[in-house]
Amino acid sequence: MIVKTLLAALVAGLIAGVFTTVAQSARVVPIILHAEEYEAKEPATEQPAATEGQQHSSLESTIGDILAAFSPITPAYAHEGEHEDEGGIMFGMSRFSGTLLANLVTGTGFSLLLTGISLLIGYPITLRNGVLWGACGWLAVHMLPAIGLPPELPGFPAADLHERQLWWVATVLLSGAGLYLLVLRPEILAKIAGLAVLAAPHIYGAPQPSDISSPVPAVLGAEFAVAALATALASWIVLGLVSGYINDRFVKSA
Amino acid sequence: MATTTVSSVSLSLNDRITAGILALLIGSFLVFGAGLANSAVLHDTAHDVRHSYGFPCH
Repeated sequence: MIVKTLLAALVAGLIAGVFTTVAQSARVVPIILHAEEYEAKEPATEQPAATEGQQHSSLESTIGDILAAFSPITPAYAHEGEHEDEGGIMFGMSRFSGTLLANLVTGTGFSLLLTGISLLIGYPITLRNGVLWGACGWLAVHMLPAIGLPPELPGFPAADLHERQLWWVATVLLSGAGLYLLVLRPEILAKIAGLAVLAAPHIYGAPQPSDISSPVPAVLGAEFAVAALATALASWIVLGLVSGYINDRFVKSA
Repeated sequence: MATTTVSSVSLSLNDRITAGILALLIGSFLVFGAGLANSAVLHDTAHDVRHSYGFPCH
């Protein structure tokens, strides 16, 4: 039974992942490609590759030191592996297949998270409430974090990656908890607490870049933010609906 | 109103919690790997997805 529930989540996630890939290639990915032209044209502002490299090494060095203590691999060997690691798409796939693979993985991940939450709070995903589940997932993972950290294009100025990721993860978790308190709890106190939890990360504030000049045109950024959020909403609604349908049709009857 | 009678259809409470935690663990592992992990190969493969989904990137 556990396996069946998890399998249902897996299938729903894969279907949503395929849908997302199609939806993204309509508008979002073309805008990313367009923005990369500007990014390449003006490398002066801040080379993203370099920042990423620094980030890589600073994080990696602490983890690397710990791992090295346990690792049976000699440093030279490990370094060789690391150099192979420098970029490039997995298994030499095309950019599109990489996106498809990543969407399948992400979709499955989101689907399992949704199912996990649904199981833990004892509130099943059905065809009837699937859209609402999806919409809440979108709010928690995309819309609410986007208030502080809007979807960014390649070449956009941004604060330290690690800080942004921390803020993002914290905001997603708090938004999820806040939505639960706000939507599924009948007590008025819980609803007030939910609103407070939802607002907390924004009152604290997302890490912002000190210099916001960018080689990428602002219009492109605005178009991208809307397209990205809309596409994400569409995929979450598909995910919620498909999850609900599969649960109704195959899991319940067992 | 047959649709509203569901709670834990045929999963016992224990099963539900086990399955729920398992799903959360696997799910966060997958999302972390695709969206946040600091590996160049993972980053390049998932690049367009990270941007489209608004994951913090670069």
